[in-house]
Amino acid sequence: MTDDGDISRRYRELAREEPPRHLDDAIRAAARRAVGTRPAPLVVPTGRQRWYFPLAAAAVIVLAVAVTLHVEREQPGEEIASAPPAPAASPPLEPRAEAQAQKPQSAPQPERRRKTESAESRELRDAAPPAELQKAPEPVPTLPPAPPPVGTQDAISSAQQLAKVEGAPPPVAGAAARPAPAPKASAQLRRFDEGARSAPSLSASALQSPEQWLQGLADLRKQGRHDEADRSLAEFRKRYPGYRIPEAMLEKVEKR
Amino acid sequence: MLAYGGGDAGAFETLYGRHRGRLFRFILRAVKDRGVAEELFQEAWVRVIESRSRYAPKARFSTWLYTIAHNLLVDHWRKKGLSLVSLDGEDAASESANPARQAEGREALARLLHALEALPAAQREAFLLHEEGGLSVAEIAAVTGAGEEAAKSRLRYAMAKLKAAVDDN
Repeated sequence: MTDDGDISRRYRELAREEPPRHLDDAIRAAARRAVGTRPAPLVVPTGRQRWYFPLAAAAVIVLAVAVTLHVEREQPGEEIASAPPAPAASPPLEPRAEAQAQKPQSAPQPERRRKTESAESRELRDAAPPAELQKAPEPVPTLPPAPPPVGTQDAISSAQQLAKVEGAPPPVAGAAARPAPAPKASAQLRRFDEGARSAPSLSASALQSPEQWLQGLADLRKQGRHDEADRSLAEFRKRYPGYRIPEAMLEKVEKR
Repeated sequence: MLAYGGGDAGAFETLYGRHRGRLFRFILRAVKDRGVAEELFQEAWVRVIESRSRYAPKARFSTWLYTIAHNLLVDHWRKKGLSLVSLDGEDAASESANPARQAEGREALARLLHALEALPAAQREAFLLHEEGGLSVAEIAAVTGAGEEAAKSRLRYAMAKLKAAVDDN
């Protein structure tokens, strides 16, 4: 007679079927995948989308920096470019001619540049009208009545004057009206500003004829304003390095 | 299983290696079709994987595992228009598949196998849960959803028929 234990023993002697290997692999892989899976984020970034936010942030930063640098670099250049060439000092009508000569060239300048003109450049331009040129803005009391000085000047006008004195051909109006390269123009403007603020009398002297200038110098000596006279004389020699001062005048203008 | 639920993939390897053969044979001998057995076997483990975070150790893991397999078998029988739990008593199928008559002249193991296949499904399941799953009567009752008395009765009937088949020569 067979008991329960014998049935169990005999049962275990039956074939021990196993699941196929491919089934084992599939189930194990599914188990590993399930454990490796993270909880899904609220917004799933897939493919290109995962680059959208960082890329957009980087683009915004680069754009902001580029615009800032561009604005910083552009502003001085625009002031220089928009500053009209300073009118010539004498004769009084020349500035108008120059201004007229400038018109065709300055007209095509972009509207944007005109809008960004600095107050300084506007002042310079406003000084151009001949009505203002007729009177001296800051009359120098120590100097003899000078030919109508202008409130502004630049190297071009000085060169024109020098050329007239020395008999050299004056610069062509068009060439004078031609806008100087930005760095030079900037330097000229700065030099003018400094000179106009610190020594208006010197600037005025530079617009006179050499004889008038020397006479003014002599007057300064007479009044005992030797510092101004020294500066004016140095400026004179810088302007007219080849000018030979007559002996009589030399005694009056040189430092004693 | 708790370790696997916590993310330890190696814990699943241990569980799978321990139960794969027994569960597969349990299913195979319940459905008598290798293709169906493989399908149900895979489905059982997929459910284990999916339930890893909800698993609560109320009983032995094998009890939980064989409960899943039992539910799959019930679904399988229902799809085929059969009932697993209604075959408690002697029925026409079991009568016609009398292991003693069909297994005459064969080896005892062959008779045993045939007798097992001829058992009513519920008795066979009770026997397989006992032999393959190592479950006690109470655990068989828990897995199958039957009372302990019913589970005990099924197991006793199954054993008696298999003994008869083995001794029938």
